[in-house]
Amino acid sequence: MTYDWDGFLNLLILLLEGAKLTVMIFFLTLIFSIPLGLIVAFGRMSKSWIIREPVKIYILLMRGTPLILQIALVYFGPYYLLPEGMKINLDRFAAAVAACTLNYAAYFAEIYRGGIQSIPKGQYEAAEVLGFSKIQTFMRIILPQVVKRILPPMSNEIITLVKDTALVQTIGISELFRVATVQSSAKSSTIPLAVAGIYYLIMNWVVTEFLQRAEKKLDYYR
Amino acid sequence: MIMLEVKGLHKSFDSNKVLNDISFKVEKGEVVAVIGPSGSGKSTLLRCLTLLERVDRGTIVVAGDEMVRTNSENYAVYAPESSLKKIRLRMGMVFQDYNLFPHFSVLRNITEAPIHVARISKEEAEERAFELLKKMGLEDKADAYPYQLSGGQSQRVAIARALAMNPDILFFDEPTSALDPELTGEVLKVMRTLAEERMTMVVVTHEMGFAREVADRVIFMDKGQIVEEGKPQVVLCNPSNDRTRAFIKGLSER
Ligand SMILES: Nc1ncnc2c1ncn2[C@@H]1O[C@H](COP(=O)(O)OP(=O)(O)OP(=O)(O)O)[C@@H](O)[C@H]1O
Ligand SMILES: [Mg+2]
Repeated sequence: MTYDWDGFLNLLILLLEGAKLTVMIFFLTLIFSIPLGLIVAFGRMSKSWIIREPVKIYILLMRGTPLILQIALVYFGPYYLLPEGMKINLDRFAAAVAACTLNYAAYFAEIYRGGIQSIPKGQYEAAEVLGFSKIQTFMRIILPQVVKRILPPMSNEIITLVKDTALVQTIGISELFRVATVQSSAKSSTIPLAVAGIYYLIMNWVVTEFLQRAEKKLDYYR
Repeated sequence: MIMLEVKGLHKSFDSNKVLNDISFKVEKGEVVAVIGPSGSGKSTLLRCLTLLERVDRGTIVVAGDEMVRTNSENYAVYAPESSLKKIRLRMGMVFQDYNLFPHFSVLRNITEAPIHVARISKEEAEERAFELLKKMGLEDKADAYPYQLSGGQSQRVAIARALAMNPDILFFDEPTSALDPELTGEVLKVMRTLAEERMTMVVVTHEMGFAREVADRVIFMDKGQIVEEGKPQVVLCNPSNDRTRAFIKGLSER
């Protein structure tokens, strides 16, 4: 008996289709949550409690409940909450990206906050005396130093995000993991799952390589 | 011409009265040394003068421009932000721990503000930066990063960075306190050169030698007040106030 190579090739392609969705959700989540996290971080550090306290609750909710639950809520929530006649069905994909973005922005915000607060006060004062505006001080003096300091913890989160995308299958998105489980039960085989595992590994290898290069690039100062 | 005029300055942190009715003047080209025991308010005074802290009451005039005055209800009223911005540009500050920007090269540390605040061209800013580096004896360090510099070199870069904005008056807060004795000399030498060029300077320092030889006037502060003020020979060698005498005696016995 010869191995069904055609079937295997088919499987690789099917899983690649799923991986495409995984990659899209990954990138879109990053693109939205990286800047949103900065806004959340500023809110969290605001002097006014009217801003700070709600942001604290938001961060608590996002970090204190499972992402899989948040994905389900963002997708199904609006349908149940809206009055009869105004019911809309959110696009699955948009809901998944929105939920992941909201979740990761909370984690990123806390990393940013730690980074921003670790910059010595003297940096702000030196900049102020030289006449830099508040925005210039942040963009030219503080932010570049923050980026260097937060890169290692950010790398951790970003690698986790690659794997967390698997959770969006809960609302029926055919991303890599869902395709793999469907194939696995259809063929009564664990090979699809193993291949999916290798796909995730390859994605994270690329991500790690990229992040390490970024870290190296910032090695020029201490 | 009077470069800096301070009248009746008061500043408290909560109930802690840190500056209590401080008044003095600095003429253009004058070097004033501020001495006094730890906690007497020297740093706070410089921070109020450079707008890093706000005073509760008092008047500060920089080269004829009023930065803050006291209104009829005895509260400090600051000039509008647009005026403060201009006044800020006339003052430079050198900190005890340098506060160089670690992610910028030495050259960029010096040129960043001239380019993005004073908005002069990059070429002009760099030309001036090289001149200043030469003056500081650091021509070969333009491309170095702050972590590669010794303390003395860092402080000289910080002085160059402040000078690059062409301030009318330069404040120093214990510029050599973080340095070993050998490195202190190289920073003091640069400050001496600036004094010879008639740069207006207010220097908080524990270096009595520097105060004696370079300063035109010495101000002795204690508990938020100016206790004694005058020529270095008088304040440092023959003080009339008991507290000054005790402080100077304590220093020489160390
Ligand atoms: N931001 C602040 N908040 C509260 N108290 C402060 C603050 N800054 C300074 N102080 C207090 O003000 C007083 C004077 O401090 P300051 O740093 O001006 O003294 P100094 O003369 O510079 O002392 P040193 O020689 O040790 O540098 C001290 O009692 C200090 O605790
Ligand atoms: Mg001090």
